[in-house]
Amino acid sequence: MRLAFYVTCLVDLMRPSVGFAALRLLEATGAEVVVPEGQTCCGQPAWSAGNRPLAIDLARKAIAELEGFDYVIIPSGSCTDHIRNAYPQLLGDDPVWGDRARRLAERTFELTSFLADVAKSDFVAPEFAGSVTYHDSCKGLRGLGIKRQPRELLLKVRGLSLKEMPDCEECCGFGGAFSVKFGEVSTQIVDRKCDSIALAGADAVVGGDLGCLMNIEGRLRRRGDETTRVLHIAEILAGGDC
Amino acid sequence: MSAVKHSQAMHFHARAGEKVRNAVLQRALQKAKPLFVGKRAKGMVSLAEDGLDFQLLRSTAKNIRNRTLADLDVWLDIFEERATATGAEVLWARDGAEVSKLVVDIARRHGVSKAVKSKSMLSEEAQLNEALAAAGVRPVETDLGEYIVQLAGEAPSHIIAPAVHKTINEIEALFAKEHDRPLQTRTSADIPAMAQEARAVLRQHFLSAEMGISGANFLIAETGSAALVTNEGNGRMVTTLPKLHVVITGIEKIVPTLEDFATLMRLLPRSATGQSISNYVSLLTGTKRDGDHDGPEKTIFILVDNGRANLLGSDYQDMLRCIRCGACMNHCPVYFSLGGHAYGWVYPGPMGSVLTPLFTGIENALDLPHASTGCNQCGAVCPVEIPLPTLMHRLREEQNERGLRPWSERLALKAWAWMAGKPLLYRWFARRAARYLNWLADGSGRIRIFGLAPEWTAGRDLPVSSGRTFHELYSARKKT
Repeated sequence: MRLAFYVTCLVDLMRPSVGFAALRLLEATGAEVVVPEGQTCCGQPAWSAGNRPLAIDLARKAIAELEGFDYVIIPSGSCTDHIRNAYPQLLGDDPVWGDRARRLAERTFELTSFLADVAKSDFVAPEFAGSVTYHDSCKGLRGLGIKRQPRELLLKVRGLSLKEMPDCEECCGFGGAFSVKFGEVSTQIVDRKCDSIALAGADAVVGGDLGCLMNIEGRLRRRGDETTRVLHIAEILAGGDC
Repeated sequence: MSAVKHSQAMHFHARAGEKVRNAVLQRALQKAKPLFVGKRAKGMVSLAEDGLDFQLLRSTAKNIRNRTLADLDVWLDIFEERATATGAEVLWARDGAEVSKLVVDIARRHGVSKAVKSKSMLSEEAQLNEALAAAGVRPVETDLGEYIVQLAGEAPSHIIAPAVHKTINEIEALFAKEHDRPLQTRTSADIPAMAQEARAVLRQHFLSAEMGISGANFLIAETGSAALVTNEGNGRMVTTLPKLHVVITGIEKIVPTLEDFATLMRLLPRSATGQSISNYVSLLTGTKRDGDHDGPEKTIFILVDNGRANLLGSDYQDMLRCIRCGACMNHCPVYFSLGGHAYGWVYPGPMGSVLTPLFTGIENALDLPHASTGCNQCGAVCPVEIPLPTLMHRLREEQNERGLRPWSERLALKAWAWMAGKPLLYRWFARRAARYLNWLADGSGRIRIFGLAPEWTAGRDLPVSSGRTFHELYSARKKT
């Protein structure tokens, strides 16, 4: 089995450790894992801004780079949702690219859903001494139906206890460009998320999307919470330093 | 177009800031949110207890709405014929100005000096109250929430809970002034007494008004009836006590049969307030017949286009399925950070972010389709499966196609996309950016003020990493 690992532009730039953690998890499945060289960004920011031509250019680029693999794995529900749901819509009518987009969409998986549902690998669970609360990111949850998978994986981690927060399915207010365009509104929304996290009282808040996590971490710290750790699920599952 | 004149949607960004900083408003909203969400959740439980499946039911409801919209002209013709046969009169209005003109003419012809109204969002589209007042007719809103916002000289901030933005103290101040009595200290225990107080005042208005004006939740083609769904009973007073009843509603509100209506009614109150059925459901057909104890002597329907027909066959037709339950705004993180007034026109929340640009001009509401995190909490609860984020996204695309986005945004996107198409250049740039961010963070792991995203760092830190990109570290790892 040959896997392509799609790092995402945000992990590349803002938190490489998430990429290395995901890589370790994928390699542990026994599959051959390749990091395709030319990868940059899936084009979601252009799509989200409503710029269809630019979104199509970047979609074609990503399809050409990623279509030669059995699976494409992404440590983000948001980028996965874009490839799975937006690519076929952007290129669906194109006689050449339509089928290629649909084929890629079928083989592209968010990290936790791949590990839990496809690879089903019995990875050696690491240890994590502490409690975590899980934030369901919108695109993963409502776009891809990911809910059970991250929890299933987390519960395999020795020493870890899961403390659900109220309204774990509520948006954190990130929304990509939304948080930059409407920062005050976004702050108001993420404040409610921080309240929920505080109610859970866990040692760490964990999620599957770096954008949401940066938003949450940034607000927690600004509010003066210096202790709640904010971690990508890959960082917990891979254990140790990546 | 009159709609454009009274829309403040272009000022969304500035208004949003004001609303976020309004502590009184924020208190009211934070109190209301769990109530709305909790009520709908109960509604869904009751649906399951009745052996009904939400997904199945909403796809049935969607099909009913789609089938009707596919032959909208036919159903409207049938409605007109049946309604006329029951003794009602059917008039048509192209836009809000025509609605106001028709109602003012009717009021003049019948010597009306006071009109009681039950909730009608379309009358807000038409700015009917202003037109009536200018013609010397006093409009009195009788829905409790509408009554409150009318006293405050405001517009509704929610389509089913018009005064949700008001606190009890604000309402007490309005009542004391309007009802000419001293101000009292109020707690939530006083709500029933305050409702009684409004009730007593409104009762006099019901008895003295010469005209009743209502909306309609649905029009039923096979019987020529208007269906009215309310909880306070004011709808029945408005539609039966005055001798003259005017129904104002949009042309898309029609459903073919009573059975279709019954299906939609399984979803409407549950989605709106969580009730299995609302306190009052009225089917208003024709005028008072011989032997009837009450009912209007004259019933006039005004069926309004105001931008709806343009949506038929367009990329936005799905929006016409809307049954105005309010579930989308009740589950919207943006709505509950701002309340409805920030949206600047009649309809707030996700449905407003779609309808306002479509009804008042895309160029007059540029922020609204972007006022969404794309979370799809709205689409997930919509009882007629309107893909609200998809429609907002289509509006964003149309803004781009029509050159309505700011040049700075277009240029930045283009430059970024160009670079993302050239991996070597992109890698180089990402490495520089990572180092720059790290330098700004000055070893603290976070940036507190970032000039490129000032709105981000106004409310939160920007966490940054070690100053090395993944790809840079990965190639180094491969070499060793």
